[in-house]
Amino acid sequence: MKRFFRIRREPEKVVPDLGVISISLLERDATLPFTIRQLNNLPENVKRRVYRGIFPPTLLTRFGIDPIQWTSANKEAMVFLKAEPNSEKVLITAQTSPDPSTEFFALELADNSLNGIELNLIVLNDPTAQRFSIDQTEDGKPTMFGTLKRNLQAEERALGAGLAPGQVRAGLRGSRLVFEQIDTFLSILGHRAYFLEPLTYASAWVFERRGFAYVRGHKLMDDIHREFQPGGALYSCLDDESTFRRQTQANTVRGRAWAIHDGILETFGARWDNIRMVKQIGRHAGVETFPGAIY
Amino acid sequence: MASRYRITRAAYLASLNDFREFIKEHCANMPGMNTEKLYDVQLAVDEACTNIISHGYAGLDPGSIILDLEVAYDKLIVSLTDFGHSFEPSSAPIPDVEAPIEEREQGGFGLFFIQQSMDEMDYQATEDGNKMILIKYLSKTDGGRQ
Amino acid sequence: MKTEMQHENNSTIVSVSGNVDALTAPDLANAIVDQISQGHVNLVVNLIAVEFMSSAGLRTLLGGVKAARSHGGDLRLISTNPGIDKVLKMSGFHNIAKVFSSQDEAVASFG
Repeated sequence: MKRFFRIRREPEKVVPDLGVISISLLERDATLPFTIRQLNNLPENVKRRVYRGIFPPTLLTRFGIDPIQWTSANKEAMVFLKAEPNSEKVLITAQTSPDPSTEFFALELADNSLNGIELNLIVLNDPTAQRFSIDQTEDGKPTMFGTLKRNLQAEERALGAGLAPGQVRAGLRGSRLVFEQIDTFLSILGHRAYFLEPLTYASAWVFERRGFAYVRGHKLMDDIHREFQPGGALYSCLDDESTFRRQTQANTVRGRAWAIHDGILETFGARWDNIRMVKQIGRHAGVETFPGAIY
Repeated sequence: MASRYRITRAAYLASLNDFREFIKEHCANMPGMNTEKLYDVQLAVDEACTNIISHGYAGLDPGSIILDLEVAYDKLIVSLTDFGHSFEPSSAPIPDVEAPIEEREQGGFGLFFIQQSMDEMDYQATEDGNKMILIKYLSKTDGGRQ
Repeated sequence: MKTEMQHENNSTIVSVSGNVDALTAPDLANAIVDQISQGHVNLVVNLIAVEFMSSAGLRTLLGGVKAARSHGGDLRLISTNPGIDKVLKMSGFHNIAKVFSSQDEAVASFG
């Protein structure tokens, strides 16, 4: 019986450091992955054409935005692309009117140090929903979504309105479509996976549902689930003493996320930190660290 | 028509039982399967996952192990994906099963058992994860291989 | 994984049930070391009720054999599970230590 045993390292698809995608490079190998920096060095119109692929068309057309021109019926620009030459990042935002507070979509992708792709930011907001200024302190300083500083009053109101920590507005339905489109876009670029670091426990849960697995932090998620059970270390810290530590929070994703945002993990010497997730293009990892969860 | 199943668990030792039970659940009733072959597959999966847990994620906050199982009429294919350090073959010498006890190294059997239990093994390390593929043939003639 | 001790004639029987894998093998190692430190150096490890054992279990048993012998005793096995027998065979355990298929035989071997 023949047996064989192979260990290989896939030859790293290192693109020659030209910074430019040329026709001959395109002709050479259909599977070579391109970096964001290379895309950003493309001529402006080629770049825009390529980045159009980030949107599922219906995400734009539902707000009356033309998916090709990126304009409203009034021919005003509604989608903004920040993809500077030689930059390793791209930021795309979309709003429903010239007023920036109607922004409903923001996405930032970046090259990481291993020629892979990071999703640095994804925001999908309902532009008609009430806005809570958790992103600014009372005197207008940025809070970095509540990670640097906290605007407790705004957070209490946001919690009361059913938001998760880090959200300024209720989310927009349709994230599954958006993530499927990101998969498609990255596969065109030649990437097999991309990475992100979830801002909160609630976002980690959403990413699990979208098919992400953990590069780091799967055990922490399991530990959190276990300790929020009655009798667990986190459960016992939900003393109903504050808005962010009510006992009922143990039972929902949002509730747990607020307690974690409030620092409850210090109970067992942990922090919401160093969690890293990965999405394999076209595959759903089936991770469910909070089985049967109520959001 | 192949059937495909998947289970993903955190890379710590308490997950080993889940992976073994998963194999049992989906493979025990395959045509051509018997108790010996089922043990072989469970053993190979257990050893591979133990390696990932002990070495792949050593010193790191454990991530996931994704086990994909493909069950065809004459073979099964197990794929294990993880996102830790990749495996270095030079660090796993083949143990000497004839050696007297004084000369026995403390470790070293895991990879050896995998090779003994499965018919094919392929390992690929990439920046997007490490993937080990293990194949077991089930038909009487072992797929016609010599 | 559970272990139960029983002293019989000249030996101590460590009956193991459940699975001996990388998670549970240290518990078995502790049980063995415990017995040896109490002076029970003739050990019979009964694996009849063990459903699954991996190389981690094997390492523990090899370590147990070394430890028992270094204290003037020995460690012998009872095994009837074909899967575990195969693990023992693949590793050449039979070249190192005795494996029996019944408790009576194993205990009797210690005289």
